[in-house]
Amino acid sequence: MIRAAAWLEVRRNRSLVLWLGVVTFLYAGTMAAFYPIMRDNAAALEQYLELFPEAFLAAFGISGSLGQPGVFFTTYLGSYLWPIVAAIAAIAGGTRVVAADLERGFLDIVISTPISRRRYLLVSIVGQAIVQLLLALALVAGVLVVGVLVGAGFEPGPFLLVVVPATLFGWAIAGIATLLAVATLSRGIAAGVTTAVLLAMYLGFVVAQIEPDLEGLKAISLFGHFDTTAVVDEGALSPGDLAVHAGVALLGWGVALWRFRERDLAA
Amino acid sequence: MTAVIEAHGLTKYYGRRRGVVELDFAVEAGEVFGFLGPNGAGKTTTIRLLLGLLRPTGGRATIFGLDVWAEAPGVHRRLAYVGSEPGFLGELTAAEQLDVLAALRGLPKGVWRPLAERLELDPAVPIRKLSRGNRQKIAIVAAFMGEEPLLVLDEPTTGLDPLMQREFLALVAETRAAGRTVFLSSHNLPEVERSCDRVGIIREGRLVDVSTVQRLLAEHWRSVNLVLAAPPPNGTFDLPNVEVVTASARDVHLMVRGDVNPLLRRIAGLEVVDIAITTPDVEDVFLRYYDAGAATPSELAGVADGPRATVGPSDPEEEGTIRAGPAEGGDR
Repeated sequence: MIRAAAWLEVRRNRSLVLWLGVVTFLYAGTMAAFYPIMRDNAAALEQYLELFPEAFLAAFGISGSLGQPGVFFTTYLGSYLWPIVAAIAAIAGGTRVVAADLERGFLDIVISTPISRRRYLLVSIVGQAIVQLLLALALVAGVLVVGVLVGAGFEPGPFLLVVVPATLFGWAIAGIATLLAVATLSRGIAAGVTTAVLLAMYLGFVVAQIEPDLEGLKAISLFGHFDTTAVVDEGALSPGDLAVHAGVALLGWGVALWRFRERDLAA
Repeated sequence: MTAVIEAHGLTKYYGRRRGVVELDFAVEAGEVFGFLGPNGAGKTTTIRLLLGLLRPTGGRATIFGLDVWAEAPGVHRRLAYVGSEPGFLGELTAAEQLDVLAALRGLPKGVWRPLAERLELDPAVPIRKLSRGNRQKIAIVAAFMGEEPLLVLDEPTTGLDPLMQREFLALVAETRAAGRTVFLSSHNLPEVERSCDRVGIIREGRLVDVSTVQRLLAEHWRSVNLVLAAPPPNGTFDLPNVEVVTASARDVHLMVRGDVNPLLRRIAGLEVVDIAITTPDVEDVFLRYYDAGAATPSELAGVADGPRATVGPSDPEEEGTIRAGPAEGGDR
């Protein structure tokens, strides 16, 4: 039974991973192709960026010279592309097996087989986790592969470390989306609320950076615990940040599993 | 016989909205039990309760002695279910979908092939390219491909053409012959009439009657249409179990309940040009429960409490009129 559910999960994730992975790889690679130009013209770029308001720079995670690999990665990928990709995958996967399948009339059929509700959802959660890992690998692979081709001089080790916080960041979103899907049994509502929560967190993160009195907002934002600059430039992971993302993910998925067993399933 | 499904006071409210109220019924092993009612009557809610998809607000139901909510996976090992509009995954082929469902039920890969051939289902086509009827064939195949002792079918022939509906009825008959039990929810009345041993009728969330199809039909009115050579004398049809619906010169429309011999003797004394006696089908019976003048839900609920609940026209011997409502003084 578990094997059948796992096969179904793989089969249903195949297109999502393939297309989102290809897009992520190509976009990351394209950005990496520009890195040598930025590195060689870092001084001019810094002078240029001084023209922009602080809030603009904060919104795009620009906190240093774009000639530094970490700042470059965070600006173009870590605080821009990855949150979008991770959110798409998390919302698609997190809302699918419970809310979307209930709405389309498929969940009844599956849940009426001997597989338990919890096991079925657990298989989906494992699938969501793997999808985020594969997409994070595609992100970093795009940077490294094209980086080698254009002579960017990236060190693979620190970039590969980014896979860890990027994956956990995606898991946290997926945990929220899954919980909301179980709570609402509506894909539209779950997706909408998840998106709204992410936008609110992003806004809070930006505000926290430009308004010292509101720095506390950073602590309650997932984005406040997703700093890829330090990971790439210093090769150091932040256990605290990783724990926050892992905690949100496990809490969301855990409550979703508990609630899914107990609740009515009525579309 | 032993009961496969037992419901005792089974009740479901969605907040303040009524789902089903105090359902009491039992489905015996090896029988085909029809569950009749229009949209919104509570058929699907009942099935979702039996499948453990909904937690009862009150009462309980068991399948093979297992509580349908608390022991759902155990219940699911013993049944196959299919809904009226199953949302199969469009990205899969029918073969892939059926193999997954078979694997989830512990059945071997490809177990569905003979049935798919019988129903002329092309398993290689992606489901999103199939018509509604062909998607419903997948549902039928999925329901019948295993050997679970209980089949729960929620309006399974929706979208099927008449030939496939006939094939479905044959499958139900074969299933019953194999000693398996079928719980068939439907508003396709001829389908129920042809396939079911007993019928439960649900109205506004309450079970208003449970009876055999034969008894349900036998205790209701027959329609008699006469074309006579000459207008009948006054009082010709004054019989306690006969009601004259219309009588215009030589055309007479009568309703008769129970023994038809007294009426036939009266007719024998007339010069009859044509006669048509119509035995009511389940639809006629069913519609009486939903007639605008039918009893209130509470009155109807009281009917189901008796050993054999009946709701329908009153006894003509008492009132001599046709009335769609609970029989006064009957076994309610």
